[in-house]
Amino acid sequence: MKVVSLDPRVNRLPEISGIDSISRKAPLDQFGTYEVFVQPKEGKPFQHEGIVHAPNLELAFLLAKETLTRRFMCSSIFVTDTRNVFVSPTTENDQNVYDLIPSAGPAQGNARPYEIFHLFKRGKQHVHAGQVAATSPQEAMWIGGQSLRAGKMIYNVWAAPTDTFRFTRDEERDLWLTLPEKKFRDAAAYKAGDKLKTFLEKK
Amino acid sequence: MYGGGTIFENIKGTELENEDPGQLAAFEARIDRGEKIEPRDWMPALYRKQLIRMIEQHAHSEIIGALPEGTWITRAPGFKRKMALMAKVQDEVGHAQLLYSAAETLGKPREQMIDDLINGKSKYSNIFNYPAFTWADSCFISWLVDAGAIVNQLANAKGSYGPYCRALDRICAEESFHLKYGHHCVIYLATGTAIQRAMFQEALDRWWAPMMHFFGPSDNISAHTETLMRWKVKMATNDDMRNQFLDMYVPKIWELGFTIPDPNLRKNETTGRWEYTEPDWDEFKRVINGDGPCNKERLAVRRIAEERGRWVREALQSKQNVYVTPLA
Repeated sequence: MKVVSLDPRVNRLPEISGIDSISRKAPLDQFGTYEVFVQPKEGKPFQHEGIVHAPNLELAFLLAKETLTRRFMCSSIFVTDTRNVFVSPTTENDQNVYDLIPSAGPAQGNARPYEIFHLFKRGKQHVHAGQVAATSPQEAMWIGGQSLRAGKMIYNVWAAPTDTFRFTRDEERDLWLTLPEKKFRDAAAYKAGDKLKTFLEKK
Repeated sequence: MYGGGTIFENIKGTELENEDPGQLAAFEARIDRGEKIEPRDWMPALYRKQLIRMIEQHAHSEIIGALPEGTWITRAPGFKRKMALMAKVQDEVGHAQLLYSAAETLGKPREQMIDDLINGKSKYSNIFNYPAFTWADSCFISWLVDAGAIVNQLANAKGSYGPYCRALDRICAEESFHLKYGHHCVIYLATGTAIQRAMFQEALDRWWAPMMHFFGPSDNISAHTETLMRWKVKMATNDDMRNQFLDMYVPKIWELGFTIPDPNLRKNETTGRWEYTEPDWDEFKRVINGDGPCNKERLAVRRIAEERGRWVREALQSKQNVYVTPLA
């Protein structure tokens, strides 16, 4: 098959003449997924922003920064492997999910800290609620129900061990300082009203 | 960018027969109340299938759509235009990532979607099978193809599936600069020299037919989509989207003194609808089935990118990498 492109860079690709011979993509060569939480501004809660595919936690942090904090204000992010997040059932109407989470019973083993996230409205993102110490994810959710509920309607809870997260380090907080300088990514940088007005008046 | 003219499969009358009537009723009631469906909620297999199809096509369109514009980065006139176009193309690829993630929550891994794209099994927006000959073609895409996409995406952002709506909210926020940038480029061509004006007029002549195809086949020949509209998978008919686009952008094109290459294009003030020459749907089908001017090139470039990146993925792969369906 001969591909002739308008783009000279495409025509220069050595493989382009034998494109049919390129083998199929290796099946399931995919990386794991990592859940990304973003803090838009100092003092605001972190909220779930999406996922990235990455080969490890450190690269997940880097890719999360590129993918999910490229455009809008950000002061900090953290990421964890999807497999570390324990998920409660999702409720609706006036059913608070914490009313469905049973007590985990007497504590067994050593407690470790867990990060707790709440879903306040279906269709919105999970928001970071705080940290609890527990011996299991289920206990972490139960304790969250006691200490972090704050009288709010909550439809879904996530709990993940704190030591599985990659947090933004203090020395990395300048990663996002240049965002406001990138005016070329801002709609306000493309004002052409005067030019259009002059053109229409002449017409 | 993009998200119009999704090609849905025809729905067979028997597809809902195996669903539990109680769960189906609760699912439909939730949508009627205006609540979102989240990944772990019960949903009919047909809803899952058609959503994967739609979101996946949308994601493919973002990365394929980056190709005709990406071509023009090195030749964009001046440093500012290069910076802007580079940022825009980067955004489009980022949008693909957001959309693949939303589709993944329904159970289809991203790698399988990419495999289906490069092997020609999945579709993407037909408009990117046409070439961008000149800088003005690139400006047409940035302004009007993005405008069409925004019409569609704003509608779909009010749909029923939570992860897709969240991705679209973010995409629409990022798109606002694309649209302004595209309009800015076209105003500069329109108010420039006679050669610049002629260049945009020629681009408009080339791209008008693909733009009319963009929203998909007209309602009287497109797949039966009543169920999808009731489930808020599809938020408006193809003809309604097309009409909304014409309503918003034809006056802006005319204002700049350009001629739209359709002598029958006019707004019927009585009905409030635009009248136009019926687009050539045979041409649309021919191109979407692989016989367009750039289909082979677009897929070839993606295949080569996959092939060239394989050693990196293999080098980074380890047994600790275990794929699971993402959460939201």
